[in-house]
Amino acid sequence: MSSKTLQILLIEDDQIEVMKLKRAIAKLGLTHELIEAENGEVALEILNKSEVLPDIIFLDLNMPKINGIEFLRIIRANEVFRYLPTIMLTTSNNPRDVLECYKVGVAGYILKPLKYQDYVNKIEKTLAYWSENELIKI
Amino acid sequence: MVLRLDSVLPRMSDDQLKIYERALKRERSARKQAENILEQKAAELFALTQELTKSNTKLEKLVLEKTSKLKGVFHNIIDAYVVMNLKGDVLEMNQAAKGLFGYDIDIEPINVVGLIYKADLVYAMESYNKLIENGFFTNYRARIFAKDKKVKWVHINASLIYDENNEPIGAQGIVRDVTENQLNATLIAEQQKKLSAIVDYSSLGIVLTQNGQIIQTNRKAQELLQFTESELLRLHVKDISVQEDHSISDDLMNKMNNEELDHFVIKKRYLKKDQSEVWAKTNVAAVRNEDGSVLYQVALIEDITEQLKNEADRQLLVDSLEAQKQKYGNIIANMNLGLLEVNNKDEVLMVNQSFEQMSGYTEEELIGKKAASIFLIEDSKVTLEKENIQRLKGNSNSYEVVAKVKSGEIKHWLISGAPNYDIHGTVVGSIGIHLDITELKSLELQKENLLRRLEKSNDELQEYAHVVSHDLKSPLRSIYALVEWMKEDNEDTFDEGTLQNLALIETTLEKMEQLISDVLSYSSVSSDEAKVASVDVHKLIEEIKKTHYFPAHIALSIKTKLPIINADRVRIQQLFQNLISNAVRYSDKEEGIIEIDAIEKGAYVQFSVKDNGIGIEKKYHQKIFKMFQSLNKRKESTGIGLAIVKKIVESHHGDIWLESTLGEGTTFFFTLRK
Repeated sequence: MSSKTLQILLIEDDQIEVMKLKRAIAKLGLTHELIEAENGEVALEILNKSEVLPDIIFLDLNMPKINGIEFLRIIRANEVFRYLPTIMLTTSNNPRDVLECYKVGVAGYILKPLKYQDYVNKIEKTLAYWSENELIKI
Repeated sequence: MVLRLDSVLPRMSDDQLKIYERALKRERSARKQAENILEQKAAELFALTQELTKSNTKLEKLVLEKTSKLKGVFHNIIDAYVVMNLKGDVLEMNQAAKGLFGYDIDIEPINVVGLIYKADLVYAMESYNKLIENGFFTNYRARIFAKDKKVKWVHINASLIYDENNEPIGAQGIVRDVTENQLNATLIAEQQKKLSAIVDYSSLGIVLTQNGQIIQTNRKAQELLQFTESELLRLHVKDISVQEDHSISDDLMNKMNNEELDHFVIKKRYLKKDQSEVWAKTNVAAVRNEDGSVLYQVALIEDITEQLKNEADRQLLVDSLEAQKQKYGNIIANMNLGLLEVNNKDEVLMVNQSFEQMSGYTEEELIGKKAASIFLIEDSKVTLEKENIQRLKGNSNSYEVVAKVKSGEIKHWLISGAPNYDIHGTVVGSIGIHLDITELKSLELQKENLLRRLEKSNDELQEYAHVVSHDLKSPLRSIYALVEWMKEDNEDTFDEGTLQNLALIETTLEKMEQLISDVLSYSSVSSDEAKVASVDVHKLIEEIKKTHYFPAHIALSIKTKLPIINADRVRIQQLFQNLISNAVRYSDKEEGIIEIDAIEKGAYVQFSVKDNGIGIEKKYHQKIFKMFQSLNKRKESTGIGLAIVKKIVESHHGDIWLESTLGEGTTFFFTLRK
């Protein structure tokens, strides 16, 4: 079963979180490419600069400067970026946040579990899902 | 020779008689002379003697007749005089008679029978019979036809005329034309009749008195007093008056007698025959003699018993109406609600004291002015216009307006408006009861503000709880990941002790995670956010039973069919889950039993969750519902579970309590509204 390699834009200010995703991908023996942005502003810069856009975006809700939902709104308002599947990767299970994310147009909402192994399992499934998806390449 | 002279005729004077006698003597001597001559020529005239004697007798008779006739003529020269034979043929009539009857016997013969007015025929015959029988009649009054066919009333005195043998041979009569008299008499009679009709049929009692003595009464008076006419004629006014009224009557009568009064009206009581009293209005008028003294008093008596009764009734009505008016007037004046009455043009007709106080204006300042233009701000004018339309339709309701009072202050008024009708049921305006709700309104605003702020701070708090829990949970994940990596990276080098310590870190992290979750969940339970829906509790428990892990030695059973209630499904699930997991956690028996039951209690359902666990000491029965009050240090327990349970029950307006025997088990009871 061959699945494509995804270019993943991870917007995360917490270095340990970045390491967690990196290690999880490595541990799972996946070949996905990770582009890191420490906040929304940086992420937008990257998106604007890059000639090739990432396949999917992972981001946390609670971030300095531009929070997750604000970033999502910006993406959704952009004619080009609006087609990028954007997935929340967060510890907040606040129903309001969930509702608001889906209102704005989030592609997925993944709760980060406490246990690392649970986390790895979730990431595995999520990435597997997105690598099976037909995506728009711009 | 008898001559009856009518008694009515004027008496002959003595001179006239003498003249008459002398004439007679002369005639007698003349006759004697003639007899002498006749004796002388007796021989030649013997054959004729008998005849002559006869003629002489005739002549004598004629002379006698003539004489008596002449006497009548003399006596009755002015009035009509008629002589007739016994058949009624008129033999003689004077000039007056000709004028009266229009006939002249010198021209044509007349018979009196033909002149009699038909209706009087019987009377005429009776009178004639009387004439024959008695030799005369007087005061005959009847109608006759004159020649010109006019009916005339005549008065006739008649007497018979006798011959020398005292045999009636005719009658003579004096006829007077009394047509005019008779007409007058008829008129008077008619008037009298009318007058007496008026008097008799008058609805007023009429009593004529002379010095207080009753001299005439009418029917009504008799009826009113219940005396007969003759009984009344024997009575004095005082006899039919109530003693108490005498002095007033006397006083008035005296004034009348002194010519101070011609007329007075008095309301007095009369005594009926049966001594009962009757109230009457009496109108007394004086009929005076020429010298001014009172000849009669005419009293018109009107029975006013009924009228008085009606008047009394009406007075009673008027009085009670007045009392009512007074009462409502007082209520209106003294009530704490402002009252404003306007006409259909919104012009002020009336305000009460409270309204004056509320508005700062006096009634004088307001009357005739348009209420809306004085008081209302623009928005409220629109409201009022709508309301006025309702009022014209006859609808009443309450509405709020914002008004500017005299001092310039802005007030909120609650107006209860109702249409005002006239006696024909037409809407003529409206009446508004005004309640100053400014303070209430400001309290309401204050309350709204407070509620808004409370809502906001609740919101913020919950937001805060989520943020905090997120911020607290993130480091836990990081630590967990780091510990995991340390284990992975040093799989070979770490000894047993180190691995055990790392495992303890992980357990501690899990406990912290649970604590954070519980605190968040507790803070999320608030009544106003509850999403109430129909919840089938039985199904819910069955689900919990299926989806949750229960140790093998524990048996969960539902004792009865659990009801369907209106509640927030998620919360109710949390409620049962917490109680059940509590029961599982503190089970110390070989066979743990958990029983769920429910009984209906009015509008509530009382649920119970019973276990056969360790039991809870009485002194902790209240404490266990408080935050962080865990009686036993167990790794799963955060001490928040029962606090959440209590909060959920209370947010559903229920109660929670427990019964427990240490070492035997505990039963939690709670009520939820159906």
